Amino acid sequence: MLEIQHLSKSFNSTQALDDVSFTIHPGEVFALLGPNGAGKTTAMRIIMQILKPDEGEILYKSEPRAKLKRNIFGYLPEERGLYQRSKVLDLLVYVGVLNRLSHHRAEIEAIRYLDKLGLVDYTQKRVSELSKGMQQKIQFILAMIHDPEILILDEPFASLDPVNQMILRDIINDNKKEGKIIILSTHQMSEVEFMADHLMLLNQGKSILEGSLDEIKSRFKENAYYLEAEKNIGAIKEIRDIKIIEEHNNSCKFAIDGKETSKEKILQTVFQKISIKKFIEQEPSLNEIFIKLVQSGASESRENT
Amino acid sequence: MRNIFYIARWEFSSRFKTRSFLFSTFILPIVFSLLITAPVYLITYEDTVSTKLIGLINNDDNDLLEKLQNHLNQNYKLDSGSPEYIILPISAESAPAYISAYNDYISTSHQLDSLENAYNDLKQLREKYYRSRTIQNKQYLLQKSYDELILTREHRELAEVDLQYYKNHLDSVYNREARLAADSMLVQKILNAYLVIPKMVYRAGNIEYHSLNPGELLDAERMQKIINEVIIQSRLQEASVNTIQISQWLKPVKLARYQLRTKGSTRWDFYIEFYGAVIGVVLLFMAIFTSGGFLFSSVMQEKTNRVIEILLSYASSRQIMAGKIFGLGFLGLMQVLIWLGITTIFVFFNLFQAGEISYLNAENGLYFLHYFSLGYLLYAAIFVAIGAIFSSEQEAQQVNIILRAIAVLPVLLVFLFLKEPDSGIITVLSYIPLLTPYFMILKTAQYGIPLSTEVYLTSLILIVSIIGMVFIAARIFRIGILMYGKKFTLREVMQLMRSS
Repeated sequence: MLEIQHLSKSFNSTQALDDVSFTIHPGEVFALLGPNGAGKTTAMRIIMQILKPDEGEILYKSEPRAKLKRNIFGYLPEERGLYQRSKVLDLLVYVGVLNRLSHHRAEIEAIRYLDKLGLVDYTQKRVSELSKGMQQKIQFILAMIHDPEILILDEPFASLDPVNQMILRDIINDNKKEGKIIILSTHQMSEVEFMADHLMLLNQGKSILEGSLDEIKSRFKENAYYLEAEKNIGAIKEIRDIKIIEEHNNSCKFAIDGKETSKEKILQTVFQKISIKKFIEQEPSLNEIFIKLVQSGASESRENT
Repeated sequence: MRNIFYIARWEFSSRFKTRSFLFSTFILPIVFSLLITAPVYLITYEDTVSTKLIGLINNDDNDLLEKLQNHLNQNYKLDSGSPEYIILPISAESAPAYISAYNDYISTSHQLDSLENAYNDLKQLREKYYRSRTIQNKQYLLQKSYDELILTREHRELAEVDLQYYKNHLDSVYNREARLAADSMLVQKILNAYLVIPKMVYRAGNIEYHSLNPGELLDAERMQKIINEVIIQSRLQEASVNTIQISQWLKPVKLARYQLRTKGSTRWDFYIEFYGAVIGVVLLFMAIFTSGGFLFSSVMQEKTNRVIEILLSYASSRQIMAGKIFGLGFLGLMQVLIWLGITTIFVFFNLFQAGEISYLNAENGLYFLHYFSLGYLLYAAIFVAIGAIFSSEQEAQQVNIILRAIAVLPVLLVFLFLKEPDSGIITVLSYIPLLTPYFMILKTAQYGIPLSTEVYLTSLILIVSIIGMVFIAARIFRIGILMYGKKFTLREVMQLMRSS
């Protein structure tokens, strides 16, 4: 279990992180979300011990971060850079060896990953000869070659094509099944909905939302439903405690806004009055929650200043 | 420790086979050596390519020309075996001014001859009168002839004065006309130079040397030496010293310079000492700045392409810094060892008479390694700090240029150093850590005498500066390396140094 406790970090006058805490269990994917400059990368760098926090602590299996071996962690930084002139295999072996793999073992692992990502023909090529997408795959291998227990991926899907996104997703899922802890940051909400078990929304260094995906979705449920009928749905307007959000000929979107009557009763009435063809409970997308929260947060802070 | 080793190995191996390393190890030293030695080679040897004509205006009637030519032939020859100098007598005998002066002289001389004859005739006539017993008017005739004799004698004396005047005039016309002729030959570059020999040269010994370019020291010096020999030889001959003795007495003395060193005295040769020292300092400079430059660009690049974040995840900033410094230091050491190896081969097979060059010995090889290592470490720490502070190569290059200028200073001061190695300014400069390695290389090559106190003291100063600089560099490196796209002010750098 990885515990992040009350992390704070400021650069000069900017508060990059303000009392951020979260906990991740093995086999979980934890997503850090937030607009640019929210503090995601800072949090990751602190976990990677690249930056020192002003306050707060990081514990893994109850051990403080400073006592942990570096090779427990695997890191894909947001800024993508590689030694352009070195050979692919040499570079992978170098990072593998830095992480306490034997030279031989590092070579085996490097080739295994290159093969898995379809790059085995490029083993002896220079990095500069590779396409941008290929270089990004090399960076994934650099983060994972030593089989770390905790994987920290900053914007792993940025500028990857859909096929490679899928490959990466599979690799992350494999790691998840192996019981590893995975922290990733992303702007792509669809990815989070696919993969994340737990997420945190950061804005201006503060956590403004945290929880499991189901929890958050139910928390932001607006009790909205989509309904498609055989015939005209005019009858729905007669039902009490219903607010129509959108209306078309044979379909509509509505929300229950009655407080006295229970949700089930109202829905029963709806089913009695209308012959239903399709009925879906409308869940808010993470994207909507994200935009809503960030915008309200931004307006709040604007009011404050 | 393992990580330092792996990082060092990576830095070393990723630079070792690069073209720029091979270039600065094998090509640059050759280019530098040629650049330094070529001008001197040209200055010294360009003039000996063809035979030179030296004009000779001889105002004395003697065999100086022949003697000079003989001596010159014995001493200076071209590679082809033909004489380097040919003496060309310059005469003014066909010049109109000379001919007219000569005619005046000759006619006066004839006049004098006829007066002389007339005088002698008169004397004989008077003797005849005097002895005769038969002649009438004896008294009158004696008196008359006496008057004629006195008159003639007076004419003769005046004519003698005239003749002397015309003789002097003739000489000065000759001298003037010969000089005019010689000057025009000099201007036309027929002659390289000409000599003017005065009368009674063996006694007076003042000879003029004329040339268009008084900077041609070599020729003038040689002429002086040869004329000296010839004249002294002639003076001795005049004093009837026999020839064998003269040649023994005049056997030239050769001055070979020796210098006190640890292992006895050794021959001293300006060119070898000067260029040896310059090349030594240039090589040290190149070694430090090759690996220092690699170090600097390595830090810069990792900062620019953000590889540093990956490294920092798996190694501490201290390990990274130490790994880089050691890895590239070994690269520089390799370069120095390659050079020392090549030098050893030169000495072993005695190419360029390298075996006779005193400072090419194992001890100085070790001094070179010692001061390279210390100098490199000091500059390396500075390079690491600069590389970490700046985020664009252009900015950092400016500082780099200043550092290079400081390090080139000893090369420029080599002359001063050779003139007076013990001068106060050299001693002061050699204790400034950034300059110490260069000056100490100069000193060890120069003296060869045990410099123990100086070596210990400078090494100590260097080591203390290295520790201090590494300490500062480590702090700057750790923080600066993650500050992208930020320009540091001097004050911020000071803050970085103070903050933990």
